[in-house]
Order: sequence, then structure tokens, then C-alpha cells
Amino acid sequence: MAASPSPPKLTSSMTTPTPEQRVPFWRNVSFLKWLFQLVVFAIVAAVAIWLYNNFRNNTAESGIPTNFNFLTNPASFDIPGADFAPTERFQNAFVIGVLNTIRVSIVGIILATILGILIGIGRLSKNWVVRKISTVYVEIIRNLPLLVIMTFTFLGVVLQLLPRIENSWTPLDLLVISNRGIGVPWYQDTSGLALFLVLLVGLIGWWLIARWRHRVSDRTGQPSHGGLIGGAFFLLVLVVGWLLLGASFTTPVVDGRQIAGGIRVDPSFFAVLIALVIYTASHIAEIVRGSIQAVPAGQGEAASALALSGFQRLWNVVLPQAMRIAIPPLGNQYLNLIKNSSLGAGFAYFELTNVTQVTVGNGSPAVPAFFLALVFYIALSLITSAFVNLANRRFKLVER
Amino acid sequence: MKIIKLMAVFTALMLILVACTSDADTTTTAAADAGSDTTAAPVEEDTGSLLDEVIARGELKCGTRDALTGFAVLTADGEHVGFDSDFCRVIAAAVLGDADAVDHVDLETADRFTALQSGQVDVLSRNTTWTASRDGSEGATFLTVTYYDGQGMMASADSGYASINDMNGAIVCVAKGTTTEGNAATVSERLGLGWEVRPFDDNALIQEAFDAGQCDGWSADSSALTGIRADQPAGPDSVVILPEVFSKEPLAPLVLDGDSDWAQAVDWAILATITAEEWGITSANVDTFLTSDDTNIVKFLGGEFEDGDGNVAVFDPGLGLPADFAYQVIKQVGNYGEIFDRHLTPLGLERGVNALWVDGGLMYSPPYR
Repeated sequence: MAASPSPPKLTSSMTTPTPEQRVPFWRNVSFLKWLFQLVVFAIVAAVAIWLYNNFRNNTAESGIPTNFNFLTNPASFDIPGADFAPTERFQNAFVIGVLNTIRVSIVGIILATILGILIGIGRLSKNWVVRKISTVYVEIIRNLPLLVIMTFTFLGVVLQLLPRIENSWTPLDLLVISNRGIGVPWYQDTSGLALFLVLLVGLIGWWLIARWRHRVSDRTGQPSHGGLIGGAFFLLVLVVGWLLLGASFTTPVVDGRQIAGGIRVDPSFFAVLIALVIYTASHIAEIVRGSIQAVPAGQGEAASALALSGFQRLWNVVLPQAMRIAIPPLGNQYLNLIKNSSLGAGFAYFELTNVTQVTVGNGSPAVPAFFLALVFYIALSLITSAFVNLANRRFKLVER
Repeated sequence: MKIIKLMAVFTALMLILVACTSDADTTTTAAADAGSDTTAAPVEEDTGSLLDEVIARGELKCGTRDALTGFAVLTADGEHVGFDSDFCRVIAAAVLGDADAVDHVDLETADRFTALQSGQVDVLSRNTTWTASRDGSEGATFLTVTYYDGQGMMASADSGYASINDMNGAIVCVAKGTTTEGNAATVSERLGLGWEVRPFDDNALIQEAFDAGQCDGWSADSSALTGIRADQPAGPDSVVILPEVFSKEPLAPLVLDGDSDWAQAVDWAILATITAEEWGITSANVDTFLTSDDTNIVKFLGGEFEDGDGNVAVFDPGLGLPADFAYQVIKQVGNYGEIFDRHLTPLGLERGVNALWVDGGLMYSPPYR
């Protein structure tokens, strides 16, 4: 058999062009690519710098400061519902604004997710009434702008529906409901830090117990009841914490034109929260419905074949797989909720946008103040999407 | 290849450095040169003042509002009627010779300063209080005060309040971004009343909250409250304006800092209305004063007079306004007293501290000579 010809040897003259073969730079593709990138970058940078210079010149001509010194001036406005004196600095007002945004966002996200999942499952229910109600809810709310919904909740629900303080509802003598606020029984005067620590201990304990019970369940095959036992421990920690912190309890009462005692839920917070929850839940419902329908039908059928009840099929087989698909779009909705909370500025809720508007209206320069607000919103959104990405990475399908 | 890459990077850096080093002076002079080149205008145009720009444009952009009875109301025919709107017309009559050459730009309270700073309006005539921080940090130059006001409180008639000291722990609603907000908080601290001050974007929302009982008190300038009271849906007697006036609120038109030609021109246009009232010149009798024996009045109205050498002259103080600007202002709009009587007297507001200095008030104009 003839030996196959040996392949030609690779010499260096074949890989690098010799000087006579070198392509001139105006035709050299890699050089041109570089040049083009650099020219584009230079143009963008030049435009940005020209815009910035323009801004600096205009503000210098009219003597408007462009630094952040306004932050240390006294605020000279009051923030309802917060422990803020008009003599404190603007930077404290900003912090309160950020905290209020976070507060409404966290509560809103939790409630909207629960409501959204329930309605999403409701749309797939075999019960005709439940199915129709869920469909009508989604179809109406999803097609309304959020500002309209919020105006309705503020003007219609809070101002008109809830009674005046003289006629406030006092169900069970425990709550006080009026259009100035909703009084809820609460601890007496403990520092936020102590409450937070108690909550943290309870949650960590719940998580650890749930993990331990799951391991026991894997080993022995008995139902884990991690949620039940963990929940019981959490409640125990709350009660023990309350007893240790002084065992005080106040119920709200109507005192003249105020609500004394307990803790007062700001009416604007209530209006903004309800509007955000209703609106975002309608979107989450559609996402959940879509992701349940995206789970292969064979999964549900196999669960039925194993004699799992309807609830067990949903909870143990279908929902875990559905939520995996739903996490990225859910993260989207959470970011939308955080940003939509800025609409509360029109309804006397002192979240970040409102604080910035009032700061600018009281003599601070507009561009640095709003720049600060932008930075906060970006930070909040990035943190939220980091959490969502973490959850996504943990739960996503690992394919071979 | 490496050298070519390095050269490209170097070129890009040089481009960026050139853009960076164009500092404040060179950029503005470049812009000004560009402007004067294209217009090829006479020498006066190179001052870059807003006065020249407004004259060239032929229309005054006046920042105002649309729904404050007595001061500025947008009527159904698209006209702005009110005390502040009339002062917009005064400025237009003085600078442009035509009181109707005004574009009334409606502004929200929270945006009014940014509108002025960005050049969206030339002047703000929008019942704005003159304060030090607005002079400084907002870049505003306040002109002659047109109305000396104070902050008051309005409450529902059946609330039982007779004075602000009764309002312990009350909820007070105000407009966002105004001196009212700060003053209410300060008064509450000083008197130990523990008010909760809730700011809203516009009066319509405050009206809703007030009607629903969420606000115990509605605080604003007393003049504004008088107008609001007249508009109450349940009638003016359903509310009561409490007797205390708890701050100084001098309301004045304002322009942007850094343009003294424009500021002075607008200022003297406003002062002309006060000067006219001092001499008793009204829109009805202004023509008879053109031939007055008092040379000062003739000079003021821009009429011809004989100077010391027997020459016929017209007085021009060099403000950049036409010589007869005062005549146009009074003929087309009226003097200060007429403007006040037209809009504020029907609301029940009296001249009080806004009377002429000869009548014990604060309206005093510098001599026009």
C-alpha cells in the first residue's frame, strides 16, 4: 500500500505575512475595526462631555449650585408618619424616603405574589365561578393604567369609602379605621432594632427547623411538616420576644381628631399599597397561569396516577416546576412594582420621589437632587434583580 | 499592528482631551460668536440679554397658573384672568408695546423654578414668595413686590376651631414645594401643636381631601385662601379663615439671575403702575396727562417736552424699553389700583398694607428721572 503523502509542513512564512505581503493599514480589516470602535467611543464621549459642559455653563451663569452641599441644610418640611423634625437635614429626609420606598415595595411584593398566584391558579380552576371571577379581574385590571387605579384607590377608597374620624369604624374594638389612617394594636414603644432582631431569630429558626425536618423526612419517609413546626417555632419566638421586651400592648382609640395608641397605617401608604398590589397581582396571575400551562401535562397525569389529591398535585408536582419557569418574569414584575411606587408622590406618600420633589421645591438644586434619587432607584433595582437571579440560578433546570 | 493600535488609542485620547479642556469661558464665547454671526445684527444685539431676545421674538413667555381665583384663572375662552396675569400683560405692554403679546405658560407649583431656570419662561408671575434661599439656590432675582401677603389657615366651619391654637394634633394640607409647607411645620414646632403637614400637587386634590375630612386645615397665603373660600362647593360660609397670619409672604414676579438688563426692564414696567397711581393717572385719563404742566409726568409717559436749551426731547433713561412704555402699560392694562380693584377687591380683599405709601401702605416707587 502506498503511504499517504505527508501533509505539508507549516512554516512561519505561511502564518505571518512577509513584509511584501503585508496589507496596507487602510485595507487591514482588524485595524479598521479597532479604528471604528475608537471613533465611535470618542464621539460618544465628546457628546457626553459637551452636554455636561453645557449644563455647567448654564447653571454657573445663573448661580445655581451643582454640588451636593444642599444635603446638609435643614429641611424645613415635615414628613407625616415619621419621626422627622423640620430642623433635621435633607439627607435624613432622603433616608426616610428610601425606607418608605423599601417598605411599600417589600409588603407590596409579598402581597402581590400571594394574590397573583391565587388568581393565576383560579383561572385554571374547574369551578366555573372562580374561573370567571379570576378572568374578569385580570382582564379589567391588567388593561388599566396604574395611575388611574391609584387615583381611584386614593380618592374613592381612602377618601370617600373610609369614614371620617368622627365616625370611624372600630371592629372588635381592636382596630380603628378612618380616612386619616388605620390604627392597629402594637407593641408599646420598643426600638425598631429589638423588633428586627426578634424577627430575624424567628425566621432563621424557622428555616433551620424546616431544613432539619426535610432531612428527617428524606431519611424516614414520614411527612416533614417543616412549615408547620417551623411556623410554630416562629410564633413562639415572637411571643417570648414580646414578653421579654416588656409585654406591653396598646390598642388604638379615637382621641379627638387623632388616633392615639397602637400603630397608625398612613392612609396614603394604604392607598398606594392597595393599588400596587391589585395591579401587579393581575400581571403575576397571567405569568403564573402561563407557567403552569407550560409544565408538561404528563406531570399532572402522572401525579393523578399516583393517587395524589388535587392540592398535593398542585403543591408538590406542578407548582415547583411552574415557579421555576416563572422566576425571571416575576423578577421583572417586582422591579416594575418598585419603580411604580414612585407614583405615590402624587398622593402625599413620602417615598423617595416625593421627598426629592419637596426638597427641590424648598430651594435645593434640581439636578443633583434627582441624580441622587436616580442612583438610589438603580441601587434598589439592582439589588432586587440580584436576588431574583440568585433564585433563578438555584432553581433552574440543569440540563445534561 | 501594535504601533497602529497605539496610535489609534492616542488619537482618541486627544479628541477627548480637546473636548474636556473647552472650559466655561471658551464654550460661552463660542456660542455667543455663533449667535452674532448668524444675525449680523447691530451692536446692541451682542449683549445676549433676554430683553433683546423677547423683543426679537415679539412675544413674552410668562409663567403662571390656571386655577387660583383672583390671581390667575384660565377661563372657558382660553383667556388668563387675574392679578398675576395682568402683571404679565403689564410687562408685555412695556417691552413689546402690546399687552396681548403674552404666552401664559401654566406651571405646577413644584416645577415653576425649573421652568424659569431652563428658559421655558422669561418671567414668573405666579404669586411666589420672596425668600433668601430662592434668591440664592434657585437662581432667582425677585422684582418689586406686587402683593404683601401672609400665610393663613382655613378650616371647616363646623370644626369648632376659633384660632390655630385650638388645632392640636390636626392634619394640615398644603401645596407641595411652597413656603407654606415649611412655615406650617415651623409654626407647629413653635406652638407645640403637633400638626401633620400633608403636601399635595395641586389644589384640586387638597379640595378632595378637605371635603372628605382628611384635612382639618388648609393652609396657604391669605389672598389665595380668600379666592379658594369663594369657590367652595358648599358655599363660602361652610369654611372659616382663622384670624392668625403666621408668616410674611411678599409676593413678587421673578426672573433668572445673571441678566440685569432684563431684570431692570421688567422691574420698571411694574413700578410704572405704582408711579401712575401715585399721580392719579388711570387708563381712562392717561391721554389728558400727556399735555400736563408737570414735566415729570410728561417725561414719565414718554411725551415730548422742552429741555433747558429749548430743544424738544423725549426722556430715555437707557433701560432698553421704548420711551412711551409707561403710557402703553397704563393705557392697555391700568395702574396698580385699577388692577387691584379689578381682581382682588371683588374677593373682599382690602388694600391694607398694599395701599400707597401716602395712604399708610407699602407701595412706593422710586422716581422716574
